[in-house]
Amino acid sequence: MNSPNPTAVAEAPPETPPRRRPIRLPQDRHAIVDSFFRFQSLFGLVAVFVIAIAVSPVRNGESVFLSSGNLANIVRAVSEIGIIAVGMTFVILIGGIDLSVGAVLGLAAVGSATLMVDSGMAIMPTVLIVLFIGTAFGATQGAIVARLGIQSFIVTLAGLQAARGIARMWSGGLGIPIAYGDGPQEAPQAFSMLSGSINGILPVPALLFLAIGVGALLVLRSTAFARHVYAIGGNEKAARLSGVPVRRVRITVFAISGLLAALAGIIHAGQLNQGSPNDGAGYELDAIAAVVIGGTSLAGGSGSMGGTIAGALLLGILNNILALNNIDANVQLVVKGLVIVAAAALQKLRPRIA
Amino acid sequence: MTERPLVRMTGIGKRFGGVHACRDIDLTVRAGEVHALLGENGAGKSTLINVLSGVITEYDGAIELEGRPVSFAGPSDAQRAGIATIHQELDLVAGLSIAENMFLGREPRTRLGTVDIRRMRRQATDHLRALGADLDPRRLVGSLRVGEQQLVEIGRALSLDARVLIMDEPTAALADAEVERLFATIAELRRAGVGIVYISHRMAEIEVVADRVTVLRNGSVAGSVDPKTASRDDIIQLMVGRSVDALFGEGRNEPGDVLLDVHGLAVTPRRPTPGRTEPAGVDLSVRAGEIVGLAGLMGAGRTELLETLFGAGGSGRRAGQVTIDGRPYRPHGPRSALARGVAFVPEDRRGAGLMLEHSVTDNVVLSALSTLTTLGLVRRQAVKRTVAGQLSALAVKAASPAVATATLSGGNQQKVVFAKQLLTRPRLLLLDEPTRGVDIGAKAEIYRLLHQLADTGMAILLASSELPELLSLCDRVVVLHRGRTVAALPRASATQQAILAAANGDDAKETR
Ligand SMILES: Nc1ncnc2c1ncn2[C@@H]1O[C@H](COP(=O)(O)OP(=O)(O)OP(=O)(O)O)[C@@H](O)[C@H]1O
Ligand SMILES: [Mg+2]
Repeated sequence: MNSPNPTAVAEAPPETPPRRRPIRLPQDRHAIVDSFFRFQSLFGLVAVFVIAIAVSPVRNGESVFLSSGNLANIVRAVSEIGIIAVGMTFVILIGGIDLSVGAVLGLAAVGSATLMVDSGMAIMPTVLIVLFIGTAFGATQGAIVARLGIQSFIVTLAGLQAARGIARMWSGGLGIPIAYGDGPQEAPQAFSMLSGSINGILPVPALLFLAIGVGALLVLRSTAFARHVYAIGGNEKAARLSGVPVRRVRITVFAISGLLAALAGIIHAGQLNQGSPNDGAGYELDAIAAVVIGGTSLAGGSGSMGGTIAGALLLGILNNILALNNIDANVQLVVKGLVIVAAAALQKLRPRIA
Repeated sequence: MTERPLVRMTGIGKRFGGVHACRDIDLTVRAGEVHALLGENGAGKSTLINVLSGVITEYDGAIELEGRPVSFAGPSDAQRAGIATIHQELDLVAGLSIAENMFLGREPRTRLGTVDIRRMRRQATDHLRALGADLDPRRLVGSLRVGEQQLVEIGRALSLDARVLIMDEPTAALADAEVERLFATIAELRRAGVGIVYISHRMAEIEVVADRVTVLRNGSVAGSVDPKTASRDDIIQLMVGRSVDALFGEGRNEPGDVLLDVHGLAVTPRRPTPGRTEPAGVDLSVRAGEIVGLAGLMGAGRTELLETLFGAGGSGRRAGQVTIDGRPYRPHGPRSALARGVAFVPEDRRGAGLMLEHSVTDNVVLSALSTLTTLGLVRRQAVKRTVAGQLSALAVKAASPAVATATLSGGNQQKVVFAKQLLTRPRLLLLDEPTRGVDIGAKAEIYRLLHQLADTGMAILLASSELPELLSLCDRVVVLHRGRTVAALPRASATQQAILAAANGDDAKETR
């Protein structure tokens, strides 16, 4: 594109100076420092893992923490929050927040139970309908945010109330137990698979979480959609003027969050063998915590899916090791709070360059 | 005044990671003088004055203020010591009013200890009046045009009654009339014994205003000259290390068919926004291969016209007719504009042009992502190649394409915005102050680029407050006054006087 004519301007010097000599070392050090911050949650995860091994109670000469049963429990326990946190990551990356996910989880759990037990539906239609409800709910919130320009905090706060209300009306305010069998008022046996494990080791919900996490990670790494998500979080006006379909991306992001919350709700119903309208209360905060520990900025525009996955696992291990050591649940809450603040403080220290 | 300089900086050095922004710089400012600081984009001018104004607190070297060594803990510390700064990038709080911004952190108090809003507004009005700006101090800064924001910023610095006044490209977004009034103010301050550091890329201004010139190159002092005796070429030679040939618009290809045709365009906003001058009767046309300039005073509606043409203006009822290639053109938004081959470089690069915390790469490819993806997946290698090509074509100075755009110097940020829009391969390019804060060498390069683009048949509509820019670059200059076209001057008859007369509305009555 540059002019071929050999005038002074065309042969501007940028190739030669000034970043030759002293730079090697500092830049390399910089790269190391930067990758530490970029993958801080991974380092945090490893650190917490090591600490957990160290402080784990020992039974019959073996670490309780490291037993395969316990590790399976951890991944099972984090899978619902983890799946929600994946959706939350997209929302937070565009500078939004989704407070409705816990309530949508409850709505989905109720929906799964009711459709199978009361309406006698098969698994596939049930799952599809519930996922559709979650997606539509999220998309509606996204549309309100995008069209009316109301902050997502407010819209999803309202959504939270609405989803809880709908779930209570649908279930008559009570938890609906799921019994398995072929008779009336019984759900198909296959649904109980969600509380099972593959080869007796890997819990099915954990498998779903990992599959979704890795999928989302790839999406965020390499799609144009992801570039648009980051751009909106970085500077919405610049994104719009650059031709990014801001509204469409917004709506999609909230739809993804709703979809994943509904999926987590189905898993929840399968694991507990019931669907209760109060399920998932407060899950939104745990999901946000996982995202923040993962190094994603609440201001939007920067963060990673790998961080979120690591953040969710970190929280799970932390809960587990505190419980194994019989530490009071209230102390657990305080520790969780400290970890969140520490993670956010670390991000503040991150140097700006590169 | 006395022998002792007001400010003496010695051996100033500063590095950012691997970038040596300043090395061993000496600079003095005497009372009652205007000391101009020149240099290419990224030469280290802003970094140096950030050291002096307390923004940068870790640096090598020493600063003396009236003979006493000082080191500032922060900008407010420097302010208290009598150093006021107008920063290059406008640092105002969008959600606060003009008056609140001007007195932020030092609000006048009533006897009861509450903020004396009335005094604040009165003083704000006075300071702005002195600059010739008639702005309601209650207006939110977020609703102001870039040029108006710049005036607020200047007014704020003036209101500090400082002994040392640092101005980092204060005129980048101002039109000639405002610049003249600013110079009058500077002359007054100089008489009052204020020491002024003045940074600008406009050579003509330096010749008028500077008592002394120091040129920086690659972070070091390249030389000091007396502007009274040194020629413009000497100074440029010092800045760039070579001479920059003047730009001639002659020898261009004949323009082709009319590409953009605007007829009686007017927008009646649903809710009028104070400070916006929507198009109120615009007629103009741009042929393929033609560069048409948009001139006018601040508030003439140039930006609004360009925004409307890009589908990014205020909502409202539209009258008149716009065609591209003879087919009607009514963009619903930037996307439909881009789809018709229209691209736009906005004037406010920080607010509307860039994602500052994101990498240069992310910014450059954002508009053209669809050409760099297969099935929605970004092709990394293609992105890398494209970005490298764009950056070298525009000679963007960045440590690497992966650094955050915020770490680039102002002029280089502007080039990034430019690179992004050109990547969409537009047929009609709308430019709003495209060389704001761009250094002389790069400016010449952008001009050459625009000529090349025009020669490939691109139509270019360009708004600029810099008349010499319009005169040297454009085939035609269209003058706006209060949202309507008042003159369309072909190159031959477009003189500074003719444009200014029209811009002031001198023949607005005839057209009415
Ligand atoms: N915060 C920062 N982090 C990293 N690099 C920086 C930072 N600030 C400035 N730089 C680098 O320091 C160099 C000097 O920048 P500076 O802003 O001082 O240039 P300038 O002379 O003011 O240019 P312009 O005319 O474009 O405003 C540039 O290479 C820039 O990229
Ligand atoms: Mg600068």
